Amino acid sequence: MSKLRNKQRTSSWGMKLILEFLLLLFVLIVNIPFFWMISTSFKYAPEILAYPPKLFPSKLNFDGYKYIWTLVPFGRYFINTLFVSISIAVCKIILASFSAYAFAKIPFKGKNTVFFIFLGTMMIPMEVIIIPNYITLNLIGWLDTYWALIIPFIVGAFSIFLLRQFFMQIPRDLDDAAIIDGCGRTRYLFTIIYPLSKPALLTVGLYAFLASWNSFLWPLIVTNSDKMRVIQIALKALQDSWMIDWTSLTAASAIATVPIIILFFFVQKQFLEGIAITGLKG
Amino acid sequence: MLKRKQLDNLQGWLFIAPPLIIFSVFIFIPMLVALFISLQKWNLLSPMRFVGFANYSKMFSSGHFWNSVMVSLLYVAGTVPITILLGLIIAIMLNQGIRVVSFYRIMIYLPVITSMAAAAIVFQYLFEPNIGLFNHILSLFGLPPMQWLNDRHQALIAVIIVGIWKRVGYNAIILLAGLQAIPGYYYDAATIDGASRFQMVRKITIPLLSSVTFFVTVMQIIASLKVFTSIVIMTEGGPARGTDVLPYFLYKNAFQYHKMGYASAAAIFLFTIIFIFTILQFKFGEKKVHYQ
Repeated sequence: MSKLRNKQRTSSWGMKLILEFLLLLFVLIVNIPFFWMISTSFKYAPEILAYPPKLFPSKLNFDGYKYIWTLVPFGRYFINTLFVSISIAVCKIILASFSAYAFAKIPFKGKNTVFFIFLGTMMIPMEVIIIPNYITLNLIGWLDTYWALIIPFIVGAFSIFLLRQFFMQIPRDLDDAAIIDGCGRTRYLFTIIYPLSKPALLTVGLYAFLASWNSFLWPLIVTNSDKMRVIQIALKALQDSWMIDWTSLTAASAIATVPIIILFFFVQKQFLEGIAITGLKG
Repeated sequence: MLKRKQLDNLQGWLFIAPPLIIFSVFIFIPMLVALFISLQKWNLLSPMRFVGFANYSKMFSSGHFWNSVMVSLLYVAGTVPITILLGLIIAIMLNQGIRVVSFYRIMIYLPVITSMAAAAIVFQYLFEPNIGLFNHILSLFGLPPMQWLNDRHQALIAVIIVGIWKRVGYNAIILLAGLQAIPGYYYDAATIDGASRFQMVRKITIPLLSSVTFFVTVMQIIASLKVFTSIVIMTEGGPARGTDVLPYFLYKNAFQYHKMGYASAAAIFLFTIIFIFTILQFKFGEKKVHYQ
């Protein structure tokens, strides 16, 4: 039977060649902006303004990278972004795993109601509640602080949901055995569940890190000083002040994207499988 | 000594306390506050003044507001069908047993993980009418140059292109997972019955993929309704409000004009639209297709 399936579902040799050609073409087109970003970031002004455009710089120009590191504190922005994103990822893993554990394994009163309410948070887009949140942060004096960038994002219904699904697959026998052995819940979570769910925890951390690194609207509204600036907002600020210095602008864009792309190459398996799961479980 | 049940209750609530607190402070209460502010006239400095539904009636009679609604709808209409169709085609192509699927999966996903701010800056340069690469590519095909971001209508097309570029990979990956979840014996049976390849796509693949396609479509509509970053970087809503999507309209009124009540009314409006789509997803998306 399976032989038959393989025969039918995989295409003929010639067909595959055509498919691969089309896919490769699509990949090339989709990746034009990345190529153009890197290429432009090394060009000198005359080649930037040349028409027709030159695909590659004839001489490498590092000024763009030098400017963003010296004329503006891009290093500071980078560290800010890294600090905020890592803090969010770590807090999210810890807090989400505690909640997910409670929802998956502890029979407490009101569990289903609360879980439903938690899921409900996913229906409310951040754009809609940005004004009240701005006012709240203003009231507690958190505007333009790391707190404002980090605290609202250290929990998320999606990560709780994802981990709960994963924890529920851990067999009951294991829970019972641990409880008979007198293992406390927190210890059980750290010593048994964590090692078993490394991929799921990593997935949650990665999503959180990426979402935070790329977030734009929130930091745009809650921060304004140079000291608290994150990379995405720095891009906007550079664009406002440097306008058409495409060498520096694309260099800054490269700094904002290349680390993420490198990270993605290392963890793409976790990442893409996580995406697929969320899509299918809806 | 606490009884088992009491301990369970205590621990359960303790474990979920942090998210409960943060959701309350940053999501649930703000939702109510947004409703409340939408009934006030307020510029952040002077005290709030209750005005009833005045913000809403002002909004619904404002040409700028309806322009934004229209622009948002056009953006949705421009991005959704193409991202879904293209995503579907790519997913089906990737599911034909070709080699190095993982390579293609990674490469088509790069735009999804890329920062929109950075991408938008690069696109701005690509769309440059005089020196941009895109107009050069058009000229290679003998096509006249476009004005892109300098023209009211073409600017919307430009941001739609960026929106499509950003999301096709995401839709393709989810649709591919949906395709892979269809059991092979359906195709086996069809093969025995002598079905053609095209018939199999039409009679097996498309019906069984319908729930995933529905999910991806609704998610795409919601994402398109929330488009913001590319607009801020590339057009700032212009030229002549040609790309003034609802989230940007909201942002401008709140954080540039400080019309908090008016902007909140717009926020509630945006929420209502997104909410309708979310409910649709919950209602019809629940009925999962059962493969076995």
